[in-house]
Amino acid sequence: MAETPTCSCGANEPKRIIFPCAGQANTGQLTNLAAIQLTEEGYGSIACASLLAIGSEGLVKNAKNVDEVLVLDGCPMLCAKKIAEAQGVPVGQHLVMTELGITKGPSKSYTNDDIEKIVAACWKGEGRVKDSAKPGKKTGGKDNGCGCGCGGTC
Amino acid sequence: MTKIEILGTGCAKCKRLFANAEEAVKNLNITAEVIKVEDLDAIVEAGVMLTPALFINGELRAEGRVPCVEEIVTMLKE
Repeated sequence: MAETPTCSCGANEPKRIIFPCAGQANTGQLTNLAAIQLTEEGYGSIACASLLAIGSEGLVKNAKNVDEVLVLDGCPMLCAKKIAEAQGVPVGQHLVMTELGITKGPSKSYTNDDIEKIVAACWKGEGRVKDSAKPGKKTGGKDNGCGCGCGGTC
Repeated sequence: MTKIEILGTGCAKCKRLFANAEEAVKNLNITAEVIKVEDLDAIVEAGVMLTPALFINGELRAEGRVPCVEEIVTMLKE
């Protein structure tokens, strides 16, 4: 019987952790929803920014050892990014919802298009931090470098 | 004209790769044909065992992962 190709859903991507700020405003809640969708699509694994904030040793260790940390902040307060930095966790990609054209409050409403916009931006690498490459760090996929699997070309 | 083929059966990752490839072409402002190949026999025939896969002008450039837009731009510039 001929072999059939395997879909890589949930595999072969660089190992990533996603920290949504999960703030109370619509933009904060959107980070959570986007992180859930990204996890379902195999981009990475959602983790708790609050747990990181209290300095959970296991989470800090994991976050320092993955190929890339994605931080989603709802607004320019940048709470989740500041939490990551305070724990010494290098941020590989960072997106701010208000910079993606999403207006913060006062409405709590959001659309599926908002979520799609955020998720697509993550897959595209729009928030990639240029100097996030970790020397000597292992990456997923086949390549080495910045963690996106590009071999350090991006 | 550059020919870009995205091989995959249509899961979320295949769709993301297709969108990223289209975005890369748009960013470079080049004329390119971006094609989805969803037929399983055609995917096997191309030697791909882990989808999604990205071919540029017939050459396998990525397999089993979704390169970001910048990476595809770099590949297209080569």
